[in-house]
This record gives sequence, structure tokens and C-alpha cells, in this order.
Amino acid sequence: MVNSVISTESLTKYYGEVRGIEDLILEVREGEIFGFLGPNGAGKTTTLRLLMGLMRPTRGRATVLGMDCWTESVSIKEKVGYLPGEVALYSRLTGDSLVRFVAGFDGRGEAEAKRLASRLELDLARKTGDASRGMKQKLALILALMKKPPLLMMDEPTSGLDPITQHVLYEVLNEYRENGTTILFSSHNLPEVERISDRVGIIREGRLVTTEKIEDLRSKRLRHVEIIFADEVPAGLDTLPGLAEFEEADKRVRLKLRGDINPLLQKMSGFDVVDMSVSHASLEDVFLEFYGQGKRETT
Amino acid sequence: MNLNLIRKTVSDRWRGISVYAGGLAAYVLFLCALYPTFRKALAVKQFFAKNYPQALLKFFGVKSFDVSSFNNYIVLELLTIIWVVIVGAFVIGFARYMIAGEVEEGTLEFLLSQPIKRWKVLTSEGSVLAAGIAGLVVTTVLSVFIFGKAFGFRVSYAGFLAFAPLGFALFIAMAGYSIFFSALFREARRALMASAAVIFGFYLLHFAAGYSRVVDKIDYLGIFHYYDPLGVLNSGGVPVRDVLVLLAFGIALFCIALWIFQRKDIT
Repeated sequence: MVNSVISTESLTKYYGEVRGIEDLILEVREGEIFGFLGPNGAGKTTTLRLLMGLMRPTRGRATVLGMDCWTESVSIKEKVGYLPGEVALYSRLTGDSLVRFVAGFDGRGEAEAKRLASRLELDLARKTGDASRGMKQKLALILALMKKPPLLMMDEPTSGLDPITQHVLYEVLNEYRENGTTILFSSHNLPEVERISDRVGIIREGRLVTTEKIEDLRSKRLRHVEIIFADEVPAGLDTLPGLAEFEEADKRVRLKLRGDINPLLQKMSGFDVVDMSVSHASLEDVFLEFYGQGKRETT
Repeated sequence: MNLNLIRKTVSDRWRGISVYAGGLAAYVLFLCALYPTFRKALAVKQFFAKNYPQALLKFFGVKSFDVSSFNNYIVLELLTIIWVVIVGAFVIGFARYMIAGEVEEGTLEFLLSQPIKRWKVLTSEGSVLAAGIAGLVVTTVLSVFIFGKAFGFRVSYAGFLAFAPLGFALFIAMAGYSIFFSALFREARRALMASAAVIFGFYLLHFAAGYSRVVDKIDYLGIFHYYDPLGVLNSGGVPVRDVLVLLAFGIALFCIALWIFQRKDIT
């Protein structure tokens, strides 16, 4: 039986009259990478802050590693690496000083911090006030990861990172997962969540709309495809499996396609293509196409 | 308290504390260098005697204005206003940053993601503030001793030593108010304005008490009622009751701030 590392029951947070999250039921299992996906303002950061004991729930309850998030938050923090969404570090201190500070609570992590700094190509001797956004993000990642905690909670971990560093981070997270770390991370980037998660929870307007295995999500993936043919448009494009929208004008075809893209490629073979673009649907499109019921529940 | 956090806070703040301490020492040196001219210039003496309002002299506990006394000179030129403003600015600035400033800058989210209890965060940072206050008081007193002796003035060593606990207690009381507002507000600017307004209000209250018997009856509610530097310098004895009352103000407000901080959402 797989243990729950994070579990919430009707977790709700209101900021005065303003809804943060409402009746959120979430379960993250031991050893998995769980992607917490939602547009800005959906409640991802609120959820993570509640789990870290930075805020008190308006109602409901959350446990992390079997401990109550509010009353036992210090014990939780001994076992959790946390990356805030908006990285803010003491500008007069260097990376080294901050690493020593984080390590100073229990004497662990300095060696791993140096290894990670080398991996992410970060100079720890630099003052954080002089660092770029990307460098601050790297440092905050190192501070969250350096103790090799059993659980990592990260709010938009790739924010501000260049593509090469993002790739290194994905590798590091996979290594941590292989060593038994459970990872919960939030994102509004669907391809990123697809790339590294085992399961994904989709939050919208403060409520968890669905929880999916990543394979199931892939089968529902929505793409925008635009093709310009040189001569004629192949027949049968408007009957492709998973077709959500179809538009044809002259030799140009626009379509929205969910799931497997191979049937489209097969239809196109043998035809002369001038240009073709494929882009992922926005998160909002995914919600509207696949979780319309969830939308109605929340409105 | 948490030694690790104290170390971090000291390394983050020591420059600020050093600048204030250096500034105070330089100002005391400036006053000492200027004093011989003040003492000799009768016109200046008369000018001061005529132009200082009697209520202000009463406010500072000066019965008869006499700049031939180095103690009087230091009280009027340093300990009454300038010193209170300089060290007060340090206290309010430091306390403002402790909660509201850290919330505003976002550093509190990082700090509270570490395994440390909130009361330990506040007591650790509060202890650095108290040490900073003590450092500035000691710097002031030592500067008076060193520069006063260097210039050959008659310094009331016992008086200044007795004054040090009173000065320390005054700023602990100010720190209590400032930390309270820092816990109450989310914006550092509002915390700073509220602290400055309340402390200035106490200052005005004490000033008005010199003119009005009605106001005089409520003067004990403000912190400056318990601050009489000249009286302490002249008596040479520590005003134990006043020191304890000021410390009680500071500690009580710190406890209320702690209560608020324990329940505060970090957003």
C-alpha cells in the first residue's frame, strides 16, 4: 500500500471575503512527483503556504508526513525542502552565508549545497542583492534541496531559469525522486508538468478540478495545428480522431487536436507541405475542453 | 532564542549598527570640541538662557541653565533631543523590518520555511535589537568619557553610568511599540509611521505636561515621563523605578506583538 505524504481534507482559505482555495482535497503519495497545475490566481501558492504552516486554514485540515500543518509545522519543516514562488533572500548576505544559515539548524547540507552549486553553475560567494533573478532562483533551489529532504514542495521551480538550467533541474529532481524524495511542485506550464510528473492535480478557481496520471493527461493533450499545403488539402482531415475544431481556407488548415497526433501525420504523408506549426493548447483551453464540468462546479 | 538566527541577523545588520555607533561617537566628539567655545562665549550662554522655553527646560529637568557644567551641556545638546532621535530612528527602523519589512520584502516566507518556531524568530531578532541598543548606549557613554577626558572636562562618571540603564530602558520601550506595530501591519511604511507618530505623541504629551496640569496628570502614560537624564546625571543614582516601568512597557508590548505574530498569515 502506498502511503500518503500529503493529505488535505476540505482545506479552505479565505482572505477576508476573497477566496484563496475552497474544500481542496489533495493526496500526494510517497515517492512520486506530483505536478500541481493551474493558471495564475488558481490557489497553488495558497495551498503550498498552508501546507508549510505559513498560514492558518479558514477551515479543513492538512497533514504532511502525518503531522498537522499548523500545529506541528516546525517538525514538518525539519523534513521538507521548500521553494517559495516569489524568491526573496537577504540582499546583504552571500549565497555561502545563506547556505551556512540553512545548514546551521541541524548541521546538514553544506556539502550537497556545494555540489548543487557546481551543477547549476552558481557562484555562492556573490551577494544575493547583486544577483540576477535566475541566480536567485538557483540559490533558492539549492537552499530547498541541500538537505536531501524526504519531501520537496516547490512553487514554480523553473521560474526565471534559462532552458539549459531547467533541463539540469529536471535531471536533479529525477535523481532526488530515485533516492526516495517525494516532490510536489506547482506550475502553470503544461508541457513542464507532463515532462517530469507522475501525476498531476489541476486546480482552478480554488478547487481541485481533477487528478490525473500523466499518461491519461497525455491522451487528452490538446494541440493547435496549422498546416499550409502546396497543392491540395488531403481528404479526411475533418474526421480525424480527437478533432476538437477544424477550419479550412484555401490551402491552409487550422485544427485543434487532442491525444495522438500520428493519425494526422499519416493523412499528410504524400502531400506537399509548405509550412506547419504545432503548439500546445493553453491551460485555459485544456480546462474548457476537458474539464468543463469542473468549471461549471466552480462558477 | 536561536543562535543560528542570531548569527544571521548580526551578519545582516552589523553594518547598520556600526554606522549609528560611529555617527554617535563622531557627534559626541564634535560636541566636546565645540564645548570650550560655548563655555567661553557669554553671549551664546545668554542666548540659550533667553531662548530656551521654560517648559522645555522643565521638560528636560533643567532648573537653571548653565553651560559651564559639562553635564548640563551634554544633556541639552545631546541626550534630550538629538540622541533620542538618532537612537530612536535606529530602533524604529530595525523593528519595522523585523516583521512588516520582512513580510513586504518576502524574506519572512524563506525564514519561516526553516525549522524554527515563530516565537524564537522574534526573540532572537529582538535580542539582536536589544544588543544593538545596548551597544549604542555604551558607545555614547564611552564617547563622553573618552572625549570628555581628552578635552579635560569634568565628567560625571557616576552620573553617566547611572544614566546608561535609563537610556537603554527608554529605547527598549520604544522597541516594544515599534515591534508591536511591525506585527500589526503588513506594510513596513505603515509600521514605521505608526511607531514614529506614537513616540512623537508621547514626546509632545510630555512637553505639554510642562504647561498644563490636566495633561500633566496623564503624562505618566507616555514613556518620556520616566526619562530625566539631567536628574540622573546630577544624582548619580540609577532611577530603578523609572527603568523598571520603561522595561515593563517594552516587554508587555513585545509579548502582544508575539501573540499577533504567532497567528499572522504570511502572504
